[in-house]
Amino acid sequence: MKNKRRLLFRALTVCILVAVAAVMMVIGRGHTIYFDNKTATVDGQEYKAFQRVEVFVGEERVARLAKRERGMASCVGQRFSFTMDVTENKGDEPKHYEYTVSVPYGMDGMVVSVPALLAGLPEEAWRSEFVPQVVQEEEEEEVVTDEFDMDGSEF
Amino acid sequence: MNSNKTSGQKLLGFLAANSVPIMFILIIALCIPVVGFSPTFLLNEIVTRLSRNAFLILSLLIPIMAGMGLNFGMTLGAMAAEIALIFTSDWQIWGIPGIVLAMILSIPISAALGVLCGRILNAARGREMITSYIISFFMNGVYQLVVLYMMGSIIPIIHNNIKLPRGYGVRSSVDLTRIRKCLDNLVAVNIAGVRIPVLTILIIVAMCLVIVWFRRTKLGQDMRAVGQDMEVARAAGIDVERTRLISIVISTVLAGIGMVIYLQNMGDMATYSSHSQIGMFCIAALLVGGASVDKASIGNVFLGVILFHTMFILAPSAGAKITGNEVIGEYFRVFVSYGVITVALIMYETKKRREKAGIGQQLAAAQKEEGK
Amino acid sequence: MSELNKTGAPAADKVREALREFGLPRLIIAAFLLLMFIIAPFTGTNLLSQITNVINRFSWNAVLVLAMVPMVHSGCGLNFGLPVGIIAGLLGATLSIEWGFSGPLSFLMAMLIATPFAIVFGLAYGWLLNKIKGGEMMIATYVGFSVVSFFCMMWLVLPYKKPDMAWGFEGTGLRTTFPIDKYYGGVLSNFLRIQIGKLVIPTGALLFFALLAFLIWAFLHTKTGTAMTAVGSNPVFARAAGIDVDKIRMLSVVMSTWLAAIGILVYEQGFGFVQLYNAPFNMALPAVSAILIGGATANKASITNVVIGTILFQGIVTMTPTVMNGLINLDISEVLRMVVSNGMILYALTRKTEATR
Repeated sequence: MKNKRRLLFRALTVCILVAVAAVMMVIGRGHTIYFDNKTATVDGQEYKAFQRVEVFVGEERVARLAKRERGMASCVGQRFSFTMDVTENKGDEPKHYEYTVSVPYGMDGMVVSVPALLAGLPEEAWRSEFVPQVVQEEEEEEVVTDEFDMDGSEF
Repeated sequence: MNSNKTSGQKLLGFLAANSVPIMFILIIALCIPVVGFSPTFLLNEIVTRLSRNAFLILSLLIPIMAGMGLNFGMTLGAMAAEIALIFTSDWQIWGIPGIVLAMILSIPISAALGVLCGRILNAARGREMITSYIISFFMNGVYQLVVLYMMGSIIPIIHNNIKLPRGYGVRSSVDLTRIRKCLDNLVAVNIAGVRIPVLTILIIVAMCLVIVWFRRTKLGQDMRAVGQDMEVARAAGIDVERTRLISIVISTVLAGIGMVIYLQNMGDMATYSSHSQIGMFCIAALLVGGASVDKASIGNVFLGVILFHTMFILAPSAGAKITGNEVIGEYFRVFVSYGVITVALIMYETKKRREKAGIGQQLAAAQKEEGK
Repeated sequence: MSELNKTGAPAADKVREALREFGLPRLIIAAFLLLMFIIAPFTGTNLLSQITNVINRFSWNAVLVLAMVPMVHSGCGLNFGLPVGIIAGLLGATLSIEWGFSGPLSFLMAMLIATPFAIVFGLAYGWLLNKIKGGEMMIATYVGFSVVSFFCMMWLVLPYKKPDMAWGFEGTGLRTTFPIDKYYGGVLSNFLRIQIGKLVIPTGALLFFALLAFLIWAFLHTKTGTAMTAVGSNPVFARAAGIDVDKIRMLSVVMSTWLAAIGILVYEQGFGFVQLYNAPFNMALPAVSAILIGGATANKASITNVVIGTILFQGIVTMTPTVMNGLINLDISEVLRMVVSNGMILYALTRKTEATR
C-alpha cells in the first residue's frame, strides 16, 4: 500500500515537472520581430512606405524608422502586442495604431511589413520569416579544454 | 570527555576549532585598508556572490551528513546544468521560463549522473573523496565527448551561433544574455546603493529550510546514522548503500540547479571550463566557513561564502598594491583555496586517527580492568 | 569476480586467473593499441615514425611513472603528490640555468641542485603523510596543488634574471614556457642516438631510464627494500618484526619525490621546453594512470608495470590522434586520453581487494 502511494506520488511529481517544462517551452519561446518600413508589393499592388514610424512595446520605444529602414524588438511567447505612431507624409499629424499579432512557434525571427500591416492585408501578406544571411566561412574556433583552468576571476 | 577545562583551554579550543575562519578574517582585515574599496562596492560584490554561489555550496551538505565527505562529484551536476542550458539557448527559451526549463531539464541528467557516481562511490568505500574527485575528471572527458563531438552531429542543435563553424560541437562560449540576471532582477530592491536580488535569496533560504526539514525526516536520520557508523546503521536495518546513493543523487541534482542560478547571474557560459573548477571553489568556500570533512552546517555555508569571496574580491587588488603585480593576487587566491582544502583534509585525517587511537586505548584499558 | 573462484578445469582456471590478474581494462587498452597499430598503415600514417613517436614519448615520461614505485611499495598509495617532486626538479632546472651552466653540464647541475630540494620537500611531505596514514591519496593530491599554486607565485617573485627565462622589460618573474635547446635540450635523447630510416631511437634517454629502473629494482632487493615491501603489504606485521614503519615510509616518499624531480628534468630534455606555473598540475594523473594501466595496483607495483604502462599509455596518446585523423578526420584523442586515464584510476580505486587496506 505504502509502496503504491509512493509510486503514485513519484509519477505525479514527474508529470508535474514535465507539464511545467512544457508550459515553459511555450511561454518562454523567444522571437525577434523585425519591422520593415519599406514599400511592399503584394499581388501587384504597391503599398508605399511611410515618412516615419515609431514602434512602442509597452512604454518603451523600440524603433524609430524612416523610409526603407528596419527596426527590431524581442518578443517572448506567441503573441506580440505593440503600438505604432505613424506619420504618413511629411508634415502630417502622427496616427496611433495598436496591434496584437500572433507569432508562429517555429519562427526565430519574424519580419513585419508595416505598410502591408496597416493596409489591413491578411497575415501571409505582411508576415515573412527572417532568414539570417549566410555568414562567410568563419575562422575555425579554437576550443581550449583545459582541465586546470586556474582563472578563478569569474567565480 | 574531561569537562573540567579552564577558560584558557576553552579559548584555545575555540581558536583551534575555528582557526580557518579566524585566519580569513585576519587576512581580510589586513587587505581592506590596503585596497581601499568603498563599502558600497564591497557589499554589492558580496551580495552578488552570495546569491550566485550559496545554492551550489548548499548542495555539498547532504553527502557530508551521510559521511561521504566533500563531494567533488558536484561537478557532474554543473555539467548537467550546462547541457540543459545549451538546449534552452538553442531552443530560444528566454527569461524566467528559460531558467525554469533549464533547471527541470538538468534534473534527469544530473540524477542519472548522480546514480552513476553513487554506485562508483559505494564500490570505493573509505576513499570516497579521491574517487569522486577522479569521477569529476572522468566525466569531464565524457562531457567533452558529448558536447564537442556529439552535439550537432547526433544530438540536434539548430542554431549556428551555438554550433562550431565546422558543423558539430558547441562553441567554447554560449551566450546567456537572454536569461542574464532574470532571476536576480525579477524581485530586487536597492538599499543604500546595494542591490539585493530578493527572489534568488528567497530561493536560497527556502533551500536551507528544506535541508533543515530533511534532516528530521526518516531518510535524513538514516543518513546521519550511516554517516556516524556504517556498520551500526546496517545492523539497525538501514539500507546503507541505498542511503548513500540517494545522498549523492540529491547533491548532484541540487548542484545542477545551483549551477543554473550561478550561470544566469554570469550571463555567459564557458562551455568547457565553467564547471571545471566550480567544485574546488565551492568546497574551499564551505571549509573557509568552518566546516570540516565530516561536519558542516548551513551557517558554515554563509560564513564561508562571505569570507572566501571577500578574499576573492580583495586579493588581486591587494596583490597589485603590495607587489605591483595583479597576477600575484590571482595566484594567491588559488593558492589559498587549495591550501584551505589541504589543511581541512589534514585536520580531518589526524582527528580520525586520534579517535581511532583513543578507542584503541579505551579498549586496552577496559581489557586491563577485566583482567584485574 | 567471485564466480571466477569456482572450481573447474584447472587449465581454464589458470587462464581465468591470468585474465583476472591482467584485468579487463588493461586487456581492452592493449587490444585497442594493437588495433591502432594494425590500422595505422591503412590510414596513410607511417608506422615507423609512429613507433619512433611512442618510443620518444616513453623516454620522456618513464621516469615520472617510475616515481610512483617506491611510495606504492611502502603502502603510501598512488603518488598523486607527484607535483611536489616536479617542483623540486623545476627549481633545479631554473637555478642551473640562472647560474650560467649550459650544455650537458646544465643537466647534471640541474639534477644536483634539485636533489637537496627534493630531499627537503620529500622529508616534509613524508612527515605529513605519516601523520595521516589511510588518507594519503586525497591529501597528496591537494598538497601537490598547494605547492604548485604556491610556486606559481614564487616564479613571479623570485629574483631570476637570466633573459632566456625571465620576462624581458619588467624583469619580474619567469616565463610560462621557455626553450632549453641552449642548455640541456636533448642531452640524453641525442646521446648515442640510433637512426634507421624513419626509426629513431633515443638511446641515451632509454639507457638513463634503464639505469634508474635498475637502481630501484636493486634497492627493492636490499634489506631496506624488502622492509619497504613488508611495510606496504602488512604494516602491523612489519612493526612486529621490528621495522620502523614511519622511517621506511619517509624514505619511500623521499625517493619518489627525488625520482619525480629527475623525471621532470628528463621530460624537459626530451620535450625541449621548461613549463612552469600551471603545467605541473597536469602531470600527476597521467603518471598515475600509466602505472595502473601497466598492471600496478594501489599497493603493488613493479618495474615491469612501469615499462608496460608507459608504453601502453603513451602509445594510445600518440597513436590515436594520427589514426583517428587519417580514418575519420576527427581528433578525439584528448577526450579519449581523459576517459581512458581517469577511467583506469577509477577502476583501480573501486576494486574490492584494494578498497580495504
